[in-house]
Amino acid sequence: MIRMILRRLLISVLVLLVVSILVFVATLLLPGDPARAILGTQATPERIAALQEHMHLNVPVWQRYFDWLSGVLTGDLGFSTSTQGSVNTLLADRIGASLVLLIASAVISTPIGLVVGTWSAIRAGRTSDHVVSGFSLVIAALPEFVIGVALVVLFSTSVFKLLPSVTLSPPGTPVWERPTQLVLPVLTLVLVVTPYIVRMMRATMIEVLASGSVEMARLKGIPERIVLFRHALPQASGPVAQVIALQLAWLAGGVVVVEFLFRYPGIGAALIDAVNNRDVQVVQAITLLIAGVYVVVNLLADVVGIVTNPRLRTEVAK
Amino acid sequence: MNPSSKYHRIGRRGFLGLAAGLAAVPVLSGCGRAADAEASAPAGPPKRGGMLRVGVTGGGSSDTLDPHIPATNPDIARTINLYEALLYRDNQFRLRPLVAESVVSSPDATVWTATIRKGIKFHDGRPVMPRDVVASFRRITDPDDPKTGAASLSMLESVVPTGDRTVEFRLSQATAGFDDYLGQYSLGIVPADFDVKKPIGTGPFRMGTFDAGLQSTFLRNEHYWVPDQPYLDKLVLTNFTEDDARINALLSSQVDVIDQVPVALIDVLRSDERIRILNSRTGTWQPFTMRVDRPPFDDVRVRQALRLVIDREQMINQVLSGQGRVANDLYAPYDPAYDSTLPQRRRDLRKVRGLLAAAGKPNLEVELTTAPIQAGAVEAAQVFQRQAKDAGITIRLHKVDTTTFFGENYKNWDFAQSFWYTRNYLPQVNNGALPSSPINETHFGDPEFTAIIAKAQGTVDTAERTKLLHQAQRIEYERGGDIIWAFPNQVDAYQVYVAGLVPDRTGIPLSGYQFRNAWLGQGGGA
Amino acid sequence: MSGGLLRRALGLRQAKIGLTLTGIVVLLAVAGALFGNMITGYQPDDFSGKPFHANGMAGTDGVGRDVLTRFLDGGLDLLGYGLAATAIGVLLGAALGMLAGYTGGWLDGLIMRGSDVLLSIPQLVFALLAIAMIGPKGWLLILVIGITHAPRVARVARQTTVGVIGQDYIKAAQLYGMPRRRILLREVLPNITGPLMVELGLRLTYSIGYVASLSFLGLGIQPPAADWGLMINENRIALVVQPWGVVLPVLAIAVLTVGTNLITDSLAAAAARRTTEES
Repeated sequence: MIRMILRRLLISVLVLLVVSILVFVATLLLPGDPARAILGTQATPERIAALQEHMHLNVPVWQRYFDWLSGVLTGDLGFSTSTQGSVNTLLADRIGASLVLLIASAVISTPIGLVVGTWSAIRAGRTSDHVVSGFSLVIAALPEFVIGVALVVLFSTSVFKLLPSVTLSPPGTPVWERPTQLVLPVLTLVLVVTPYIVRMMRATMIEVLASGSVEMARLKGIPERIVLFRHALPQASGPVAQVIALQLAWLAGGVVVVEFLFRYPGIGAALIDAVNNRDVQVVQAITLLIAGVYVVVNLLADVVGIVTNPRLRTEVAK
Repeated sequence: MNPSSKYHRIGRRGFLGLAAGLAAVPVLSGCGRAADAEASAPAGPPKRGGMLRVGVTGGGSSDTLDPHIPATNPDIARTINLYEALLYRDNQFRLRPLVAESVVSSPDATVWTATIRKGIKFHDGRPVMPRDVVASFRRITDPDDPKTGAASLSMLESVVPTGDRTVEFRLSQATAGFDDYLGQYSLGIVPADFDVKKPIGTGPFRMGTFDAGLQSTFLRNEHYWVPDQPYLDKLVLTNFTEDDARINALLSSQVDVIDQVPVALIDVLRSDERIRILNSRTGTWQPFTMRVDRPPFDDVRVRQALRLVIDREQMINQVLSGQGRVANDLYAPYDPAYDSTLPQRRRDLRKVRGLLAAAGKPNLEVELTTAPIQAGAVEAAQVFQRQAKDAGITIRLHKVDTTTFFGENYKNWDFAQSFWYTRNYLPQVNNGALPSSPINETHFGDPEFTAIIAKAQGTVDTAERTKLLHQAQRIEYERGGDIIWAFPNQVDAYQVYVAGLVPDRTGIPLSGYQFRNAWLGQGGGA
Repeated sequence: MSGGLLRRALGLRQAKIGLTLTGIVVLLAVAGALFGNMITGYQPDDFSGKPFHANGMAGTDGVGRDVLTRFLDGGLDLLGYGLAATAIGVLLGAALGMLAGYTGGWLDGLIMRGSDVLLSIPQLVFALLAIAMIGPKGWLLILVIGITHAPRVARVARQTTVGVIGQDYIKAAQLYGMPRRRILLREVLPNITGPLMVELGLRLTYSIGYVASLSFLGLGIQPPAADWGLMINENRIALVVQPWGVVLPVLAIAVLTVGTNLITDSLAAAAARRTTEES
């Protein structure tokens, strides 16, 4: 089992390495000369040459890649051309802001998803179950910006005028100092993620509740409540952990649209800015960061799956 | 203060009115003002004290404090309040003295003498000396690193101190309107030992804090040369890149004034009694630029056809919500030499078809490069595209982002857009209509035109010069590459308790960012 | 065989609702694009009043064009792009997945590791990267969304193919020396249509969502085209005064994606039921 996990880990590292090459090559193809982009109307040939020198744009490609990669590995994400500062400083506050969104969304959606999913599974086939299933099916279909705009119309502009529709954060003050402006972005993400957790939890629980061990427990006359908590839930924990991990991974990418919609000062909004500004190293850093979170969380999901599922353990091992 | 009590307070102020929808609820943090005091439009003599918080469009992490290379709106706002040039353009677009008391020319206009204002001091209390002026211009025209203003000072040969308070500008050729060139905000006078890390000038405010791309604060300059000015103790400039964020900040009282209100939203803001709109007629212009050296625009008939197919009134209505005046393919409307006798061009589809048929391009197809380089730019391109269709002209829109627009093809797009502030005719021509101009987007290089301009530059006699300038304008009117359809208004907004902001012709937002005139009435000034 | 699946799926009430919802929006988008100007009297790029004013049934947009006309005209591109991206994704994914599953060995490893790399970048981020390189072009949008679907479809196709190739009829075909391409098309493909149909529905829902999202970010369909995603972004600044320019397209996209998702879910349910019945 340890060997399998190690193998999985090695594959993840390789995948990340290939992703880094892909991202690096992609940003090489960006149109527009970053040196010109910075100088804009102030560009003269001498200045462009000087800036290119400064930005190491005249060093061979492979060397730039290794310079960049070794920088990333030592925690130096590079130089942001549009901000004329290090990418680390640019992203420092933004990573925090995005994490606040992610964690708040995860902390709210996970318990709701688990409880509703379990409840729905226990009542499988009844009206309440159909309502929950139908509802989660509908919400799960909606693109995140559709949910976000609907919430804005509902709570901020047209129906009720209760919550801010854009994030305003004066410099130096963290976004969470004004909690009301976190409500709509978090609610959007919660609505996007919860239906998946509900659906997976429901399916898993239905399977578990029909399994032999639970059947056995019931036959022994153990009260249903105890059957649920002692026998059914532990069996479901593996797949559920996987679902949660996958949703977290999804959130890492899903914040892009939500942050843009609410003008939220996180890494997603920074990515769109950087794409527009041809800020190569920022694009590289954020893409790699998101891919990194994605790969690591997926790895965790797999490891949890391997550890908790003896059947899978043996099956994959052969 | 807990959020609910704040919320209650806002509710009491009737915040959840119509306009509040835009803002939605702003829970004010610690920066709340005396919210209970009824705010009303201030009257009477200016009051001293308080802090003005300004929301400015644009900017980014490449923001600078360098007095000589301001690029974005926040840069310009900082430059104008920290530094002063020898002269400036006031709200009426009149040339007025600033660091200089006077600037006078020799009879042949080859030597100009500036007298430094008596008693004027830098932020650190040192008096402004002739050597400071000399050093400032040396910094601007540094051949290794020429600054923004250098391009228009090509005739400047040397700057020489000639007395305790006088400096001579010696020119390589007679230049009648040289003082006009000195009246640019990017020609601020700084100490001879200037260092951008210690941004010292003679402006009404001195530097407090500076966070590139985010916010800068300024403190009252106690040495300022205008008695009592500035009225404010503190000035805070905050960058806002997004329109809705800026408007929300105003409606939720996080800022006192904002520049650049999207024109379509003027009525919404007007309906809010706490907000005032500052609507300025200007001489700014947003042309479509056609390269006269590239097909199909190298055929003057094609250029004329495109100038005739545009419906200027409709452009103003659809793009500017009516906030602008019709233009006649000419710039510099406030120049005394502006030729208003040339007939106003109007849409004439029959003539358009005739011109295109004569040019052998009855089904003209062109590509217009557009980018959000200025409020309304992409919208203008869309409206123009639709209008051209009426005459069978196909305009394909090539929408790029701002960085690409100003990237390697900048100034070389065959057909694109541009944006210029108010200028007088000759400075504008020097900037954009001569082969030697730094930003000649249309590649206009008409030899006859260039010769007339050269002659006009050296002509001291006003009547004679005006005659030459009229000739030049006629050439541009007939053969030029700019489609100048309007002079858009500059629309800004402020809280009712803010005073001292007046309409300004320069096109620079918020009374030309001249915050030394601003003061706060009751209800303002935390 | 897939006909049976479809019939079975469409027997479900949920599928009928989904089909109705999808049908309404598709009809609206197609008929709107064809006859919109007859209903409202305007072309999508005509001006009907001042910007953000209440002229017409749904007001005007930021340059004074009729919102209703543009709404009616703005769905067809989205549908077309979504369908095309789905087609590319499912075809490419199914082909690669079947090939990997059937052939095994190093080719299998190469295809699946390659898709692992693609899978480790979120679809939208990948699309952003591609658009940043080449610019917001229609074909690129279709291609990049299609490509990001492919590894996800390939995984499913590979898994089901592996389940099928042990069957006797495949072995028989191999014994007869039938070429690989024919085995895959004639013997394998008809037996994995169930899961592929489910994937098709799922990918279509996502494709519509991604195209609309990218247009909403300003990186998809470009002005002056009337497009639902783009309309939402263009008009949201005036949400307070003229909400229809945002509300109509949001509703349409919502109904459309909900509809396709209901159908997909019914397909999945029908396919699952068939598997249980067969086993």
